[in-house]
Amino acid sequence: MENSLAMTALIFLGAAIIMVPLVRKFGLSSVIGYILGGIIIGPFVLKLTGRGSEDIMHTTEFGVIMLLFLIGLEIEPKKFWKIRKKIFGMGLSQMVLTVASLFLIFYVAKWRPDQALVAALCFALSSTAIVLQTLKEKNIFRTDAGETSFSILLFQDISVIPILALLPIIAERPADKEKQILLQYLPDWLQPFSIIFGVLLLIVIARYLFVPFLRYVSRSGMNELLTATSLFLVIGVSELMDAVGLSPALGAFIAGVMLATSEFRHELESQIEPFKGLLLAVFFVSVGASINFSVIMQDPMFIFTTTIVVLAVKFGVLFGVGKFFKLKMDQNFMVAFALSQIGEFAFVLINYSTNLYLFDPKLNAQLLAITAITMCITPILLIINDKLIEPRWPKPSNNDDEIREPVKEQKIIIVGFGHFGSTVGRLLRVNGIKATVLDNDPERVNILRSNGFKVYFGDAAKPGILRSAGAETADLLILCLDDPEKNKFVLEYAREKFPQLKVFVRAKNRLDAYEFINSGVDHIYRETLGTAVDMAVDILKATGMRAYAARRLGQRFMLIDKAVTRKLAKEEKSDKVTFTMKAYLEREAELLAQDSHSFDESQWNENEDF
Amino acid sequence: MKKTLVIFAHPYFEYSTSNLELVKVYEGIENLVFKDLYEDYPDFHIPAFKERKRIREFERLVFHFPLIWFSIPPLLKLWIDEVFDITWNLEINHPLQNKDAIIIVTVGGKAENYTAEGMYETTLEELLKSLTLSLKVNQIEVKELIAIHNSDDLTKNQLLEISKNIRQTLNKT
Repeated sequence: MENSLAMTALIFLGAAIIMVPLVRKFGLSSVIGYILGGIIIGPFVLKLTGRGSEDIMHTTEFGVIMLLFLIGLEIEPKKFWKIRKKIFGMGLSQMVLTVASLFLIFYVAKWRPDQALVAALCFALSSTAIVLQTLKEKNIFRTDAGETSFSILLFQDISVIPILALLPIIAERPADKEKQILLQYLPDWLQPFSIIFGVLLLIVIARYLFVPFLRYVSRSGMNELLTATSLFLVIGVSELMDAVGLSPALGAFIAGVMLATSEFRHELESQIEPFKGLLLAVFFVSVGASINFSVIMQDPMFIFTTTIVVLAVKFGVLFGVGKFFKLKMDQNFMVAFALSQIGEFAFVLINYSTNLYLFDPKLNAQLLAITAITMCITPILLIINDKLIEPRWPKPSNNDDEIREPVKEQKIIIVGFGHFGSTVGRLLRVNGIKATVLDNDPERVNILRSNGFKVYFGDAAKPGILRSAGAETADLLILCLDDPEKNKFVLEYAREKFPQLKVFVRAKNRLDAYEFINSGVDHIYRETLGTAVDMAVDILKATGMRAYAARRLGQRFMLIDKAVTRKLAKEEKSDKVTFTMKAYLEREAELLAQDSHSFDESQWNENEDF
Repeated sequence: MKKTLVIFAHPYFEYSTSNLELVKVYEGIENLVFKDLYEDYPDFHIPAFKERKRIREFERLVFHFPLIWFSIPPLLKLWIDEVFDITWNLEINHPLQNKDAIIIVTVGGKAENYTAEGMYETTLEELLKSLTLSLKVNQIEVKELIAIHNSDDLTKNQLLEISKNIRQTLNKT
């Protein structure tokens, strides 16, 4: 069947839409859903896809490039430094040991040495998409297992880049003859340095061009322009790298790292994320559609023994590495099971190798099938781990006083860093409390950044930006925007998507406060209350009242006013206004008239709250 | 056990070595309310009416605090100033009726310094007179005064021993 590109894309998306919710119901990762969807629409079941699936796979490989860009954005040099031992220690030993063991096994099994090596390299990688999804679903990002998995995956993701560079060398042929236009202008002796040259060029461009460019665009205040710019940057960088004969994935990754410390990090993340998600989804479906079942049928023994060998070797190496780095037993099992599959980069690497004539089409199909099968087995392995293995390791009891878990740092997001927010932020900062700050005024962000504040550009009212700022794992959300409507909007969005967040909100006046109270916020700060009371206290002093008496009155006034506001808010909600505002104000005056110095017991018995 | 209100006052609680351990004694005891003054009233504003009303329901007050410059912590003093009423001792049925008290005080110095012949030429009982007298005129009998000397240098085992002592005192009706 020959379809138009749009029709094929429609079928692919349709398969994803139907299959993903289905597999999610069974508690499996969405990647499995995509692949299964692909298999169903593929040539061996429904035959809905024509030759288009190969093309679509190539097009959507771009999703992987975007994934690398996003990974780059995540790697702030500082964060990288913090877990460097884990990344290089565990990551490197996992890669080296896995590649070595697999290569040895394949070599003994009489594979061609170059094929054995490339297959071992491809199979050593684990699936970032599946594992990160699993960690997120189990909410174990902050545990040892979570951090270890992340470190190993990070190292693997980084090592994709040298592997991509290595493949043409193994194949003993240049990457792509027609495309090396720019590179050919270089003298022969310089060509080996082209990688270094290209990377340096990119770093310079990213450092001195991207950020001013983004600032320029963000000043226009138009949303769709920022989306366009983000895409322009990623596609532009990968095309540029392609033109100088380097891996586009490497380019995207470096561009990401260079932008990780800029104020546009979260904005870029939220802009690119949906495209990445969409492209990767279609990519996985096309992977499913291109699994060649007749190849599996021809030699099922080969496929299944290889699959089992790969899983066993990966599991063994991960477990050994974990043990060597003194991971606790239960955590170690978790990591070893979770990372035992082959990752999505294998699809890219295997197809790339086939283009380099390293693999013939038959072996290509077999390797792809093995990769997909290991991915489908992961959820089953994790269920086994959950049900059978984890219960055998008792959770460390909290009764022992000697084991003191270090207090976990609270993760804070401040939205709005104008005069109000920056005052909040400064007091936090002098106490060494770090916060992720979002502001949507490019000028202000620029000025604050040059003064050493870590502020990110981004409009928190836009979906996605809070998520990229880390709202999923954050503890406190501080809303300091000028516009109360915007605060309300962000509040509602955050309540729905990130219910674990404790919210602190700035309110202009009583009326704003009512709404916040009724939507269940406990921490409300009326900017017109504190300052006005301070002023009134000083005026009382000026009229001759003793300063201590004035201060006491001021504090009592605040307490009474806050309590009355709460009561009024509730009545406003229930529409049963028993007291009018006026009646309350009179009552407030009455309460204030009785200072706590009043010695008449009959008075204080009923006013116990203040 | 008697219905108990623990009035805990410590301006530098997070730096205290002994009290962090000792307050664990109060965890999970039925009929006991733990009131952390410096946490509840950080701006030194005490809602006196509320306190006066609540205090009526308790049968025992436990004052737990460190000795600061030979005196009780300022917020505890303020709490007494705001909540207690000098006219009460003339009344029948006032809020402080039918109560007894326990005082638990941590002291950085050695016990031998707090004697008439010692370095400070006075005793802990003398120094705490403002508190004990305020209780006495309101007919609150101080059942026990537990003084914990050398409080910055106690070992875990010593602290556990003191905790045991406090627990026993609380359980004595």
